[in-house]
Amino acid sequence: MTAPPISPPNRRPRRFVVTALVVTALALSGCSAGGTSTGGPAGTPSDTLRYAAPSAGGAATNDPHGLLAGESDIVRMALTYDVLTVPGPDGSPEPRLATEWTPDDTLTRWTVSLRGDAAFSDGRPVTAADALFSLRRMGEKAAENFGRLAMFDLAASSAPDPTTLLLVTTTPYAEVGTALMGATFVVPDATTDFGAGLVPGSGPFRPTGGDAQTTVFERNDGWWGPPPPSRVIEVRAIADPAARAQAVQSGEVDLAGSVPAVAVAPAEAAGFTVARKPGATMYPVVMRTDTAPFDDPRVREAVKLATDRRQLLDTVFLGQGELGNDLITPTDPSSPQNLPQRTPDLEGARALMTEAGLAGGVDVTLHTTTAYPGMDTAATLLAQQLAPIGIRAAVQVGPPDTYFVDVYGTEPFYVSFLGGIPFLDVVRVALTPGSPTNETAWADPAWNADLASALADPDAATRAGRLGDLQTTLRDEGGYLVWGVGDRVDLAAPGVSGVSPAIGFGAGFVDQVTPPSPS
Amino acid sequence: MGALLRAVALVLVASVAVFAATALLPADAVAVRSGGRVDGEQLAQLRAAAGLDRPIVARYLDWLGGLLTGDPGSSLVSGRPVAELVGQRAPVSVVLVVGALVLAVPLAAALARTRGPAVGVLVVAGAALPPVVVGVGLAALLSGAWQLVPPVSLLPAGRPPWSRPELLVLPVLTLALPTAAYAGGQLRGTVADVVARPFVRDAVLRGMPPTAVALRYVGPLVAGPALRVLAVSAGSLVAGTTVVETLFGMSGLGELLVAAVRARDVPVVQVVALLAAVVVVAGLLFADLVATRNERDR
Repeated sequence: MTAPPISPPNRRPRRFVVTALVVTALALSGCSAGGTSTGGPAGTPSDTLRYAAPSAGGAATNDPHGLLAGESDIVRMALTYDVLTVPGPDGSPEPRLATEWTPDDTLTRWTVSLRGDAAFSDGRPVTAADALFSLRRMGEKAAENFGRLAMFDLAASSAPDPTTLLLVTTTPYAEVGTALMGATFVVPDATTDFGAGLVPGSGPFRPTGGDAQTTVFERNDGWWGPPPPSRVIEVRAIADPAARAQAVQSGEVDLAGSVPAVAVAPAEAAGFTVARKPGATMYPVVMRTDTAPFDDPRVREAVKLATDRRQLLDTVFLGQGELGNDLITPTDPSSPQNLPQRTPDLEGARALMTEAGLAGGVDVTLHTTTAYPGMDTAATLLAQQLAPIGIRAAVQVGPPDTYFVDVYGTEPFYVSFLGGIPFLDVVRVALTPGSPTNETAWADPAWNADLASALADPDAATRAGRLGDLQTTLRDEGGYLVWGVGDRVDLAAPGVSGVSPAIGFGAGFVDQVTPPSPS
Repeated sequence: MGALLRAVALVLVASVAVFAATALLPADAVAVRSGGRVDGEQLAQLRAAAGLDRPIVARYLDWLGGLLTGDPGSSLVSGRPVAELVGQRAPVSVVLVVGALVLAVPLAAALARTRGPAVGVLVVAGAALPPVVVGVGLAALLSGAWQLVPPVSLLPAGRPPWSRPELLVLPVLTLALPTAAYAGGQLRGTVADVVARPFVRDAVLRGMPPTAVALRYVGPLVAGPALRVLAVSAGSLVAGTTVVETLFGMSGLGELLVAAVRARDVPVVQVVALLAAVVVVAGLLFADLVATRNERDR
């Protein structure tokens, strides 16, 4: 085969390739190029808040009582429905639909008063029967919501009158206000179909439309609470943190929840508002207290002493956070405040290893994954830091989609994930003997007896002190290495205010955020 | 008729393969969803409730039966009907794929007709670049450096995906450029062969206008292979939406498929994958029909 002669028809396409590209790009973009880097598309009313909320990817769920995998789902629910209590600025419970909660002498029967002026969007008043129905539904879905209401005997609980809920706990439990803080979204009694859409709610906003990504909410002017500053809130569920940061920086949204650490400095320099929320993200390292070599408390302490927390914090969270002190819930109101910060002590760690009979070192596998950014880096760094004390850790990176099935709660040594969770929630999920999620195999009878007795203590101050002591014991003897606590950073357009400082569940409330003023 | 039967069989085989592949992945929807939080007994109950304890063949036949009677089932994650999820997201992905095709076809044709080693290198490089690299590069250029379009494509809620066309530039270009390079590269040899044939060279020497030569002599001979490449390219465009939608913050079928595979949400995976298979197989069927007709005509 011979090459054909270069003829005129062969030359034109080359120009065409370039021209086609440029023309298409310009034609498509030309009309609105001006609007993209300033305050969003022209005509956006200033009473609208556009929020890019963190999402777990995939379809939004419409069931408020099951698994709320992405924060965007919590945000949608928190706008649509009222909850019984909410976390306040310091993480303690504050009234919402429930105005008061008082126990009897045994701390097992609680009278919860509900406000009488809340109404569902279909006009029906919100009653205690609706609240009880919703709580029972959460109880039925315990496997999906971390057994959130496991402390209650919901069958024995009742709704004696429209504004009174009588809640029965299985054991004396003084922290009922805290227990009602998470996801207690109240829906109308006897609702059965949660597949078709959001059911009528009594919350500050009402869903009016949207698409697969966005739910549009309009203010519920009949809401009993403080009037929300925005009339419309558009909640966009976006899984990619970088995309959320870019969305706010290009003016496509007004507020982005949880952006990558690398995006913060440039955005701040460009005049965007940075809302920093300490204590949001932890990658604690789990050491199973029932499996060698970590069944020896001296080995666990050696690991805690050998860890260079500053290096981990600077590398994994780019320094945006605080050093960990092995406290599993450092932002909980009951977390002990005056403990000395752990610092690296290689000699002490080596001595402990020798005492434990491991002077010659030991081989272990350190599991990690890429489910959250930097989890793999944390494992690699830690493995390097442990080498000088003879712990030869082989890092094994598992696929993110099965990590929490195969490794979590099973392997003796791995990088776990926790974020913004109150102490008693961690206790229920991860520190209850026999539970499949008791990942450190923590089962100290004395500790559990102290916990039960602390929860039966009616005095709030002494109770907090005793809960703090329990956290100190766990820090010194338990199987968690907490090397650092990363900040969560939200980015907002200039003029946006009122972003809640809360982490965890509380971060899902955006009804009091003020949208940017018109530009 | 035989071709049509073959196409239907191909789609069926694809659906079996996808079903089996999803089933063979470690962990199922119930296990992923409960994320290690429940014990073995509870897990078994949840599995039974979701029908995941039944043999895989029975589950597949159930799904197929449902599909044929118009009920493709509900998501194992959100409980929402698959038809609703797919219907809500299809417009975004269809607009992206059609937009990319409209751009890629003339580009591919141009690349296929262009001689020279430089173009050859361009074609290979373009086809070899992963979409995520193309996307990030285009965003850095068109959005970062030149500020022509937003770096993310957040489509206006409740309006058609094309109501802000500038938002489609980055995702469509990201899909179209590598596809055009691939298709152009595939067809370069064919076009060169055809152009080198005596009757084409005669026509050129006789002074026939290039467009007429292309339409009358080159086009019919290239059409069959071109359509086949186009069908395969359409498949790769559909696959490319998984990357592009995630990268630019869009909620289409690609993003849904990624999340559904991660969650082992078999009913959703099945329907989205089936749609992709139908696009490719229908394209190939059409290409075969055209090729057969061309043979007959000559």
